[in-house]
Amino acid sequence: MNPTDSPERPDDVRLSAWLDGELDGPARAEVDAWLRDHPEDAALARLWAADRDALRARFDPVIDEPVPAALQATVLQVGRAAVEPRARWRQVAVAAGLLVGGALIGALTGGVVGAQFAGSDVLQSAAQRLPWVDAERLRPGGWPHRAAVAHAVYAPEVRHPVEVNVAQGSASEQRAQEEHLARWLGKRLDMPVKLFDLRTQGFELVGGRLLPDAQGPSAQLMYQNGGGQRVTIYLRKPEAGASTAFRFQRDGELGLFYWVEDGFGCALVGKLPREQLLALAEAVYKQAEDGIQPSPQGRKPAS
Amino acid sequence: MQAPDCFRQQLLTAVPRLRRYARSLTLETSAADDLMQTALERALTHWHQFDQRRDMLVWLLSIAHNAFLDQRRRDSRMSFVDPAQADAQQDLVRSDPGADVGLRIDLMAALARLPLDQREPLLLVSVEQFSYAECAEALGIPIGTVMSRVSRGRVALRALLDGQDTSARPEPLRTLRRVV
Repeated sequence: MNPTDSPERPDDVRLSAWLDGELDGPARAEVDAWLRDHPEDAALARLWAADRDALRARFDPVIDEPVPAALQATVLQVGRAAVEPRARWRQVAVAAGLLVGGALIGALTGGVVGAQFAGSDVLQSAAQRLPWVDAERLRPGGWPHRAAVAHAVYAPEVRHPVEVNVAQGSASEQRAQEEHLARWLGKRLDMPVKLFDLRTQGFELVGGRLLPDAQGPSAQLMYQNGGGQRVTIYLRKPEAGASTAFRFQRDGELGLFYWVEDGFGCALVGKLPREQLLALAEAVYKQAEDGIQPSPQGRKPAS
Repeated sequence: MQAPDCFRQQLLTAVPRLRRYARSLTLETSAADDLMQTALERALTHWHQFDQRRDMLVWLLSIAHNAFLDQRRRDSRMSFVDPAQADAQQDLVRSDPGADVGLRIDLMAALARLPLDQREPLLLVSVEQFSYAECAEALGIPIGTVMSRVSRGRVALRALLDGQDTSARPEPLRTLRRVV
């Protein structure tokens, strides 16, 4: 503890440890003594201390923020909140079938499940609540609901169904628009946005748009077949607490497949028979799985 | 077997501090809460592995640290969007509003540029006020490594704030540095 004049300049590691209070008495006293005699090193230590205080000041307010309800629910709810490992497509497709089967039985018997399904037509009022299969995990304001609302709003649109149209102009102009669309949406959503190729199912990409959302932006891709029928794919980063299971929901003529996979939420919405929607959803799911594979049509956004 | 209520209460008490760390690590609210979600789910699944004699926050931060590495590993597979992701992150950092705009933007941008293996120990020691021993435990690295990384992080952060951008570009998101 005697402040002898230390012959050696404490190196950065030692000075840093001194700042963090990690040095014991004698070692600490040595550094103290050195800093008393060397103002330039003392100034450096003060700068570091100021940086430390600035970091604390920047992040300390997070402590006082209210804990989001979803996180609170995760902690307090029964263990169902624990995310299951990703279910394989076949399994989830079967599960989706079972859900629909259950709904039919419920509807026939007038049971609870049937009551959950028997909702009003979302197309009558875009903002109207969709009835959910899984009332515990899905809220009316949840993203699959917003996917359905966005479909109901934009799919009937004749002149401006999308913000970025990739179906106009020459082939090279279309390709340029596709690249632009994927990059733009990817940047705004802060996640990979792949323009799925649904031509095998007879659907051409019309384009896409960015959707405003209180929880962060989301995107809508629109596809159309030769008969003028449209399906939309809704993409977003999943909200905390979002269900990861693959699910199917039908309301009136509108069908919705949705799931959360590796950091993104995806919903396929359309006024199509379930089998046809399932085939489309399967194509989307597979292409999302092979995410980084460029499609043969060069739909891979230039990086 | 499900986590008992007392464990859940303990967990809930730790949430605000865990969120602060998640925020400082991801620099973005929604990404931080996604990370929180994953970390909390893992904590609930592995509740029986928690030794009550230990500090729960250290245990939780080590879970969050691993979850973050896993997330980056997944992101690294999505290689073709990395430039856009990086851009978006940078935009976000730059557009961060605040009373003390100049200082904040510089600080956050500098932090974003710090390599993860320096950023994590520096944040744990500076913001969470962990001891080097606790930091070593949370990150699963020796104390000596904590010491040197904290100091390197400090020097690098100061250099960035002084406008000496030694690395010249933010660390690419795809780069995963496995902490040894």
